[in-house]
Amino acid sequence: MQVTWKLPGGGAVTAAVDYGQSLMEAALAHDVPGVVGECGGCLACATCHVYVDPEWAAKCGAAGEFEDAMLDLAEERRETSRLSCQIEVHPDLDGLVLEVPEA
Amino acid sequence: MTVWTPTDDGYADLSSHDAFANGAPHNTFARLRREDPLHWTEYEGGRNFWSVTRYEDITVMNKNTEVFSSARGIRMEDQSYEEYLARRTFQETDPPEHSKVRMKLLKAFSKTTMAQYEQDIRGLCADILDQALAKGEFDATKEIARQLPMRMLGRVVGLPEEDLPWLVEKGDALIANTDPDFTSHVLDKMQTDEFRMMPFNSPAGAELYVYAKELMEEKARRGDTSGVLNLILEPAKDGSVITETEFRNFFCLLVAAGNDTTRYSIAAGIQAMCHQPELLAQMQEGGAVWETAADEIIRWATPALYFRRTATRDVEMHGKTIREGDKVLYWFSSANRDEGYFDDPFHVNLHRSPNRHLSFGQFGPHVCLGMWLARLEVTVLFQELAKRIKSIEAAGPHKFLRSNFVGGIKELPVRVEAA
Repeated sequence: MQVTWKLPGGGAVTAAVDYGQSLMEAALAHDVPGVVGECGGCLACATCHVYVDPEWAAKCGAAGEFEDAMLDLAEERRETSRLSCQIEVHPDLDGLVLEVPEA
Repeated sequence: MTVWTPTDDGYADLSSHDAFANGAPHNTFARLRREDPLHWTEYEGGRNFWSVTRYEDITVMNKNTEVFSSARGIRMEDQSYEEYLARRTFQETDPPEHSKVRMKLLKAFSKTTMAQYEQDIRGLCADILDQALAKGEFDATKEIARQLPMRMLGRVVGLPEEDLPWLVEKGDALIANTDPDFTSHVLDKMQTDEFRMMPFNSPAGAELYVYAKELMEEKARRGDTSGVLNLILEPAKDGSVITETEFRNFFCLLVAAGNDTTRYSIAAGIQAMCHQPELLAQMQEGGAVWETAADEIIRWATPALYFRRTATRDVEMHGKTIREGDKVLYWFSSANRDEGYFDDPFHVNLHRSPNRHLSFGQFGPHVCLGMWLARLEVTVLFQELAKRIKSIEAAGPHKFLRSNFVGGIKELPVRVEAA
């Protein structure tokens, strides 16, 4: 399945990603600039922050309690903000579009 | 005092502080990564332990806190349960307990909060560098690297400027507790167990306890609730508060860990500039290099050589069995030089990108709280240094700390030509 990361300042990375990993891990595997994931998905850093295209928000689900608290620490939080380590790649997300925040 | 320092023949004793007195034993790490990536290390001073040396292994294990727990100690030395309780901070806990404390501190150490200190840091750097560089020839660890984190600690934590040199001396005695230049109570040569309930098993811990207590009493009298120290006293979401002992241990952690790590990153960066003269020109060119330089310098330095975990159940790995209760060491120092992951890892490449080094303990919940401050301090320091000099070279051999826990250049004689 395919995911597109729109980059700040234009440009995008579109890649085929495997199921069973998180969108943060998928971003790291494809060297998407701006998605860092320093805590490895342990909800301790907020460096995998992305904006989920509104069309896809429902399919990605809502942030959990800890994620919500972590997102408060992210720069430029929006309503569509998620930590991409908390979203698992699954077939319903084929074609997903994410936006990487300004560094 | 002369310390006997063996050369690294590929079979260095990782449990020996002397084996690190010429820097981390990279020949040994390279051999272990190649031949024995899960190595059973004999430890004369206590129970033996596993050494994990490959990058990929550490990144997988570090997030698996259910199997590899921090809650029984994070250094190779054994602790009784009683000592553990007396000396622990949130570093020595696992999620979800760990997350509760960490949550309270994240805001104060976030990238956004730290960015507000940039002008402060730049001012301090100007001051420090102008004094040091005027000397022409000097010890860069003492005159530059040691100065900046110490003075920033005062600003971030909210400590009186005049107390800082004393605090840093005590912090050094804690964390460099195996180097006779920093403490008269050398950990592995100590004849007493008098301080075993104190942070880092050090008498300096006792003095810092008293200081922290008086400082907070003084703040309370003034009605001053600002700063990081008060943040940690706030109740968590579930109403729980930390104990007085935990608070004082946290204070010791800030003074110790908040200090020497960035110091040794700066020192390693300056040493690299002496060794690879092209780095200065790259820095002077400026621009995009500053987006990547700090992480490469911090990878090169790897001040926290390892952290330890303890297995909570039996696990098979590389054809061996890690038994429940076994100590497991993640050697970040080795992972950051893993040729299986990094291109040309023994070379400083300021443009390295991506640079997913493990100096901050990445890929786990304990990833360094102060990493944004560290990156900012390193970036600004080298920006200001590069502006002010035409050349820099070694003015003699540098000396490493006697420690297998903290990797740092404690003496770094350099000669500079001012721009």
